[in-house]
Amino acid sequence: MADKMDLLEVEVWDGNMAASQAFRQVQIDVVAAYPITPSTPVVENYAGFLADGYVDGEYVMVESEHAAMSGCVGASAAGGRVATATSSQGFALMTEVLYQASGMRLPIVLEVVNRALAAPLNVNGDHSDMYLGRDSGWIQLDTFSPQEAYDLTLMAFKIGEDHNVRLPVMVHQDGFICSHTAQGVKTIDDDVAYNFVGEFQPFNAMLDFEKPASYGVQTEEDWHFEHKARQHNDLMTKVFPQIQSVFDGFEKLTGRKYRIVEEYDMEDADVAIVAMGTSVESVRIIANELREKGVKAGVVGIRVLRPFPLTELAKVFSGVKAIATLDRSSPNGTVGMLFNEISGVLINTNDNPIMNNYIYGLGGRDLTMDHIRSIYDDLIVNAEAGALQQPLQQFIGLRGPKLSFY
Amino acid sequence: MSEIKKIKNLKEFSTSADRFEGANLLCPGCAHSIIVREVLNATNDDLVISASTGCLEVCTAVYPYTSWDASWIHIGFENSSTAVAGAEAMYKALKRKGRLMQPERTPKFVAFGGDGATYDIGFQWLSGCFERGHDMMYVTLDNEVYANTGGQRSSATPIGSSTTTTPAGRVSYGEKKNKKDMLAIMAAHGSPYVAQVAPNKWKDMIKKIQTGFQTEGPVFINAMSACTTEWKFAPEDTIDISDLATDSLVFPLYEIIDGKEWNITYRPKNIIPVRDYLGAQGRFKHLFKKENEYLIEEWQKRIDSNWEYLQRREESRV
Amino acid sequence: MAENNGWDQFDAGAILFSFNDKVDNIATTHAEDRPYSKSNSYTASVGDWRVAKPIFNKDFCIDCQFCWIYCPDISILSRDKKMVGVDYDHCKGCGICVEVCPTNPKSLLMFNELADEETELAAWPEKESKEK
Repeated sequence: MADKMDLLEVEVWDGNMAASQAFRQVQIDVVAAYPITPSTPVVENYAGFLADGYVDGEYVMVESEHAAMSGCVGASAAGGRVATATSSQGFALMTEVLYQASGMRLPIVLEVVNRALAAPLNVNGDHSDMYLGRDSGWIQLDTFSPQEAYDLTLMAFKIGEDHNVRLPVMVHQDGFICSHTAQGVKTIDDDVAYNFVGEFQPFNAMLDFEKPASYGVQTEEDWHFEHKARQHNDLMTKVFPQIQSVFDGFEKLTGRKYRIVEEYDMEDADVAIVAMGTSVESVRIIANELREKGVKAGVVGIRVLRPFPLTELAKVFSGVKAIATLDRSSPNGTVGMLFNEISGVLINTNDNPIMNNYIYGLGGRDLTMDHIRSIYDDLIVNAEAGALQQPLQQFIGLRGPKLSFY
Repeated sequence: MSEIKKIKNLKEFSTSADRFEGANLLCPGCAHSIIVREVLNATNDDLVISASTGCLEVCTAVYPYTSWDASWIHIGFENSSTAVAGAEAMYKALKRKGRLMQPERTPKFVAFGGDGATYDIGFQWLSGCFERGHDMMYVTLDNEVYANTGGQRSSATPIGSSTTTTPAGRVSYGEKKNKKDMLAIMAAHGSPYVAQVAPNKWKDMIKKIQTGFQTEGPVFINAMSACTTEWKFAPEDTIDISDLATDSLVFPLYEIIDGKEWNITYRPKNIIPVRDYLGAQGRFKHLFKKENEYLIEEWQKRIDSNWEYLQRREESRV
Repeated sequence: MAENNGWDQFDAGAILFSFNDKVDNIATTHAEDRPYSKSNSYTASVGDWRVAKPIFNKDFCIDCQFCWIYCPDISILSRDKKMVGVDYDHCKGCGICVEVCPTNPKSLLMFNELADEETELAAWPEKESKEK
């Protein structure tokens, strides 16, 4: 039996420790993991818990991230609670297996501590790894602080393991800015946290010898489309209700309210910034500043990237005059992902906001308050003019001549 | 540990109820099938099986059919070993936590992979599983090519073999590199038991598979799989070709215990010339051209020297 | 048959189950007693792959079981250590059983797919003398 840990009501944890503690509290059956900056501390903290008797599951120290996810798939199909953590290159290496895991409907939880993708090599935080996995069929949640990393990681198990859902879940947090930055994190007692998530309920487990099952079969042109359609359907229809239900339950338990679209001051907003990761909190501070000056500024944080809350976002953005989408990943030849996704939200509506795109923060480059102020300034100018007054896409926080496109 | 299934002779063995089904898509005469049957029939224990992408997987699990009567998983090309290792880890975890659904049953964990999956693309995964010491068996179905994709070379392809990526041509005699010695490599991992088997020598194979199942830790089995399609011989000759392979000592049957003790487990009454083995297969027929005949002599020398080496290792007991 | 089912009519994740019911011990239960599901390839047939088929003549058979073990397609049926016959739903006509049969004359021989079993059994070849 694993020992319980007595936590203080508020612990000083960085995002990695927050995720590690969530892993510990849900009593994972098998963790197959490999270290990579900046998610390494998750793997190390978990090893520490194991060595001190706080975890009694199996901990498989595999030889690569691809093997980590492969081991997780085998363990999950066998029938139990499974999780791992990675970043960047490791995430890229296991990409193949991400698609395999979701195609086989296995509820694995993956903590992704977002880091830039080489080349050039960079260990700092940006969203290029997150963007790589978008189409993998996983449920994808984004967190903006260590508190959220703790809360969402706990909830991830309850979301993915539900028998109507049975899909793997990624929980993203910014590398270093979140993962290595400590904050006062309100904790949940071990028993309460475990009971909230609940004991793992097996479904089609390979270790149920009374019902042998074949996992990972081949489907050709006569079947593949139907299987992928089913997967898409379940992502589109079964997940939001479960996420909402888990959010509601969590709010009851802790008082902390999470929403599928984290809108901030959007009810009457004229200008808005859409962002992901820790930047969301920075943008909220500047939005407050502008509100005090009488500017109707709002912020939208993307909490659930997949499935994408298209209809919810359309409601949130209704009436907004100018929107800036902030992408922390280089789109390498076009506008940023968030620009495209938000355009998709609004294209068939009566709303016709002016929208533009900012690429920022690559490889851990800081997004400063002045940068954010300048973005809102652009939006205010656009809203007043009723048309785009700057290039469609700008790089912000970059040394050298001003870089912009379209 | 569960009891070993008693298999005194072939008649007794024939009372087995196969857990591998026909009406799969494997070629007529495919040795993979014979090997899988022998492996699965060697035990009555529950099984958790995995297969790498390859002939076996692609031909036995195409929606809407499965040919497996035990829990089975295919993830990808590299990772049948890790798939089963993950399942084994889950078994250990649930056992410790008292959450096994049928706690009285002791399953065996078996991973299958072709030579391509094992020697090449899945090498790291296999190495990792063995280094970590999972309680599992890995069976390589060695047909010396990437058969499923049409016969490209692998690091298990022997010298002089004509494959689609090392074809025999005007200025080439085919594959130039010698076959990788996987058994020595896996023995060097500290595996408690590694062995080479061939489906025509069923008694030798069953004994080794049973030993493997009774051994705790990672067991590596290299099974010769004579491929009628890629080695280019008639489908009814699979067992005959296998006999030529074992009796010419091209595929010597031996085992390595704890990485140190080598035992030759089959000594042919009459050792057949390598030439006869090569001559029976289309993939080697170009070696019989006058300008290539020296390669057949080199083959014989290599097999002879290898056999000498095996006998020395067996004698020395280190 | 699972053909032409829509996207909403199968188990998610393309999972397939071998049996319809629980079996106490699959390894000691023969095929005829197993509750095969329609997803099990046992219920399918590859008999149409054949251009030649083996015919079994039990008069010469010594129940050595070579054909049983070397048949890749589990199409040689053996029960209680005795040869029963050929499973023509699963036999692909590879001919290995004939090759490995040790009796003289052989107890299994390949014939044209359309050959009549009774006719061929009645006209079974004689014992071959050893020539060298």
